[in-house]
Amino acid sequence: MKDIRFDGVGKTFTTRGGAACVVLHDIDLTVQAREFVAVVGPSGSGKTTLLRMAAGLDQPSAGEVRVGGRRVTGPGPDRAVVFQHFALFPWKTVRQNIAFGLRCQGASRARQTVAVDRYLALMGLDDAADRYPSQLSGGMQQRVALARSYAIEPDVLLMDEPFGALDAQTRTVMQEELIRLSRQEPRTVLFITHAVEEAVYLADRVVVLAHDPGRLREIVDIGPTRAAEAWNTRPIHEVMELPSFTHLRTRLWRLLRDQIRPGN
Amino acid sequence: MLVVLGLWWTLTSGCGLIDPNRFPDPAETWAALQQILTPGYAGGTLVQQAWASTRLVLLGFAVAVTTGVPLGALMGLSRRAESLLNPAFLLLRPIPPLAWIPLAVVWLGLGDGAKILVIWIAAFVPCVINTWTGVRGADLTLVAAARVHGADPVRVLLEVILPGALPMIFTGLRLSLQACWTTLVAAELVGTLYGLGRVLDSAYRDVNPAMILVAMVTVGLLGAATTRLIAALERGLTPWQV
Ligand SMILES: Nc1ncnc2c1ncn2[C@@H]1O[C@H](COP(=O)(O)OP(=O)(O)OP(=O)(O)O)[C@@H](O)[C@H]1O
Ligand SMILES: [Mg+2]
Repeated sequence: MKDIRFDGVGKTFTTRGGAACVVLHDIDLTVQAREFVAVVGPSGSGKTTLLRMAAGLDQPSAGEVRVGGRRVTGPGPDRAVVFQHFALFPWKTVRQNIAFGLRCQGASRARQTVAVDRYLALMGLDDAADRYPSQLSGGMQQRVALARSYAIEPDVLLMDEPFGALDAQTRTVMQEELIRLSRQEPRTVLFITHAVEEAVYLADRVVVLAHDPGRLREIVDIGPTRAAEAWNTRPIHEVMELPSFTHLRTRLWRLLRDQIRPGN
Repeated sequence: MLVVLGLWWTLTSGCGLIDPNRFPDPAETWAALQQILTPGYAGGTLVQQAWASTRLVLLGFAVAVTTGVPLGALMGLSRRAESLLNPAFLLLRPIPPLAWIPLAVVWLGLGDGAKILVIWIAAFVPCVINTWTGVRGADLTLVAAARVHGADPVRVLLEVILPGALPMIFTGLRLSLQACWTTLVAAELVGTLYGLGRVLDSAYRDVNPAMILVAMVTVGLLGAATTRLIAALERGLTPWQV
């Protein structure tokens, strides 16, 4: 399993008028192998940009991103991205969407079928296998997107607000599902979110970004508490009522509010 | 249908509100249809004339699609191709396709070649413009999703950009086919031995409004039928669309 290292990473966009806009400044962050790191921060603080650089979809203007020790220069089979609006191919069935990455890698038909069937079962999608994405609920679409990314067995999963487009109910179900999935198939995960509760519930560590320019504000350790209280084996509503959980959530809330308050 | 027929009869033969020299009544039209069906008119039966036109439409359409769609895709994919070809389009588009007829005849004579060239010019533009728009409007998130799951540029084009552009491409094909019919009939009016345009021209010279009506309705029906074919093809090729 591979780690992700951001070394002094900065990103500057040049606008049409030629003005430079510093989006991220001097980010040093390591996501350990098999670690689940969530990133929270105000809108526009560069969360998506950070993730895109790890995916190889954008290049840093300063510093470098390394995955498993190798410098990222473009997308690669060791990393997969789950997008906020699912980004499923509307013209492919559920089965074809999940098999997409394996087909790109030139996997044999037999191997594709085995992998697809496994993820269909794991995600409870058996009955939807031959439907098109437009015929699925939002929650089911996101399950397909997760399956499509997991199916190429990447070392690193990059998720950009994957549950942001779901209603509260579905969102909770998906959060539990993701915990279950990461127990069965541990991966190195970088998870972007707006929702502090979600970050605390899912992550080993939560990174708080400051705004303008985007930079590291603080890193909050959740792992030890999660392990001590066995969060991973308890239902989500129970975990969210624990004093330790509410304590961490409030702490993160404060950090984030300080970023959002104007004049800070 | 019956209501239209009834109204038609009433207005023409029934109360003579419309002069039969201006608009034919049902009986005359029926007679004209019989005439062109069996002995034929203006050098051929209805089936022969209609086939002569349909054949040219299909040929011109095929040439327009096989050249226009790839060119539109190229312009949608490459900024360079776009900036090179767009000025040419801006210049050529205001010229009505029929204005090419003299040049086409000078180049290719009075045969099918000149007609196909004119149809191609008319039908090519909607193919290019719509494919171009569809390809240029590709969903960049889907392109990114394909890339991060390991797709190379060819696969991105074939499995992401083109399927996404397909509805627009089909819009182009429909417009293009309509352009084929309108242009062909107009081109046949100018000078030809066969075809529905020839029937129209002869009927005009013979002052035979019933025959004019028969030819016009035939063009309408054939145009509608071929458009239906395109729609059926689209449904078959885009099963994900509801
Ligand atoms: N291609 C680009 N060109 C110019 N500016 C860009 C580009 N991409 C992002 N930006 C700018 O970078 C900043 C950060 O964008 P980013 O999408 O990374 O923020 P974010 O933290 O993900 O926000 P949100 O929470 O709203 O998703 C924004 O101000 C945005 O306008
Ligand atoms: Mg974002």
